[in-house]
Amino acid sequence: MFKKLLIANRGEVAVRIARSARELGVACVGVASESDLGSSWLFAMDEVVPIGGAAPRDSYLDMLRVLQAGVQTACTAVHPGWGFLAENPRFAALAEQHGMTFVGPPASVMARLGTKLPAKAAFEAAGLQGIPGSAHALESVDEALELAQRIGYPVMIKADAGGGGRGIRRCTAADQVRDQFGAARAEAEAAFGDGALFLEKCVDNGRHVEVQVVCDAFGNAIHVGERDCSVQRNHQKLVEETPCPLLSAEERERLGTAAARAAAAIGYVGAGTIEFLRAPSGELYFMEMNARLQVEHPVSEMISGLDLVRLQLQVAANQVLPVRQADVRLEGCAIECRINAEDASDNFRPTPGVLEVYDFPLDVGPGTLRFDTHLAAGDEVPPEYDSLLGKLIAYAPTRAEAIETLLAGLAAARVEGVSTTIPLHRAVLASDDFVSGDYDTSKIPGWSMAGSER
Amino acid sequence: MNDELELSVRRDGDELELLAPAPGAFTLALEEGALLFAGATAGVLRVLERDHVLRVPAGVHGRVTNARPERVHEPVGHGALLYRLAPLDAAGLTSAPVGGAAAAEGTSGLVLRSPQSGRFYHRPAPGDPAFAEAGTELSVGDPVGLLEVMKTFSHVPYRAQDGLPQRARVVRLLAGDGAEVRRGDVLLEVEPA
Repeated sequence: MFKKLLIANRGEVAVRIARSARELGVACVGVASESDLGSSWLFAMDEVVPIGGAAPRDSYLDMLRVLQAGVQTACTAVHPGWGFLAENPRFAALAEQHGMTFVGPPASVMARLGTKLPAKAAFEAAGLQGIPGSAHALESVDEALELAQRIGYPVMIKADAGGGGRGIRRCTAADQVRDQFGAARAEAEAAFGDGALFLEKCVDNGRHVEVQVVCDAFGNAIHVGERDCSVQRNHQKLVEETPCPLLSAEERERLGTAAARAAAAIGYVGAGTIEFLRAPSGELYFMEMNARLQVEHPVSEMISGLDLVRLQLQVAANQVLPVRQADVRLEGCAIECRINAEDASDNFRPTPGVLEVYDFPLDVGPGTLRFDTHLAAGDEVPPEYDSLLGKLIAYAPTRAEAIETLLAGLAAARVEGVSTTIPLHRAVLASDDFVSGDYDTSKIPGWSMAGSER
Repeated sequence: MNDELELSVRRDGDELELLAPAPGAFTLALEEGALLFAGATAGVLRVLERDHVLRVPAGVHGRVTNARPERVHEPVGHGALLYRLAPLDAAGLTSAPVGGAAAAEGTSGLVLRSPQSGRFYHRPAPGDPAFAEAGTELSVGDPVGLLEVMKTFSHVPYRAQDGLPQRARVVRLLAGDGAEVRRGDVLLEVEPA
């Protein structure tokens, strides 16, 4: 195992990684921007290296500064967390070049996963079904029109280098494809530095179902069940749960097995997530693979009893996966709410500020609660970074009990100083649509975007 | 060819502080007493095996008043203090050539420096005779004063290092009784005995 780990991230994920690293006896080196210096989450680190200015590009996104922090503190591994440099193959390669093991997949595999079309081709070859659409970047509007005609409207024009819900345009007719194509290309060029576009059939009212996998460097792969992340706003996930309420035990097993096999086939190493879109007809289409630990990983940990960060570190240290598929027992139901510093009733306006009160009692039932956060009362939520305060996770034997537990936890929570998404979560979890499991990514169940609770 | 980085500046009352513009290994640091002016190079910051010459930004000049780091490659974080600059007056400009604090302070060049930052005392206890005063002969290991660091007192021994002779005579005490000193600050001036 590594002696010293560089945690190339901030906030909640940095604290989460430090917890598992410490359990393995690994010392943690944190990095901090000017605005994070003095933040209480840095106490989770054994050492902290100030790396730059408050703006992410001057600190957490500057791979030279981040890696130099590891070099001068003699780290032998770097964990990128999520966001920032987590899915940057150059960063992974540069870390290895400077003597630090990258906790994640090999840079070459990550590079392939980062572009949509080669990833889709690789996974189709590995046995997963992709959404019908183009197999290579579109050359022209005519090609787009011809393909759209063949697979049927509505279609989506997507930027090959896009992500996080950006760079996607929906077209219901040929006119729109004609209108949107040039703008989409210009936008992709400007936003991602790559104007390559492709086209896919638009699956309306789909559900976002993703499978957690962990692979070691010796070809072993396990899946830790699926997560349903269909409660979204503008492709940003708000509530995640496992198991997906729509899948039968048999479908679940088949999906998980196929995902684990595909991940091993493409040479993946580490913890990763394969995302699927479930059409109302029940078809599961491969969307993409996220080559990192995900924000919503705790729900998978709750139903499996596994520590995914611990597994990440173990396989990165070239250990054989300590669990095999037969050892992975998925029991119960877990639901996670992302508590963001946003005012959901005011169009999700971010509300940075000082947390005057920050209290999440966990001793409410019937199930158990877990709260992952890096903050405490008195801390400041800086305006430079994302608005995630923490994640409240409920675990119970049944879905109904998990919902009840989470609602009790949200009701007991007290936050003052910033607005939070707690009112939104209470409305969602109490809504008939969510309780019945009958909702999709197109709208937030129990919440009307006009701003008032239903 | 080397890259360049400009030092960051922070104003602290009369003094200027030059800060590391990035994390890295700080090397080729200038000595205490060196004169810095806008555009001058002031050491090298090595970031991921790449050397960046450190430049003094426009409008900044002064004399370095802090000791350079002990290590040849000193790991520093972003914003770490690299140089503290005292303002230059006309006298400073003419009488203080680059070449060390000793010259700047008008001493013969043989000085004993504080091994640590803390509070320096001349006497073991109030009312007691001083450990050393002008004319006292010192040999290696003789205490010259007490240093209080975080409520702990320890003797500061005379050491024959940095060109100091095995035996020396105190010319004068430069750090006051009870003065706050930083590591590398001059405590007393000596001459060979």
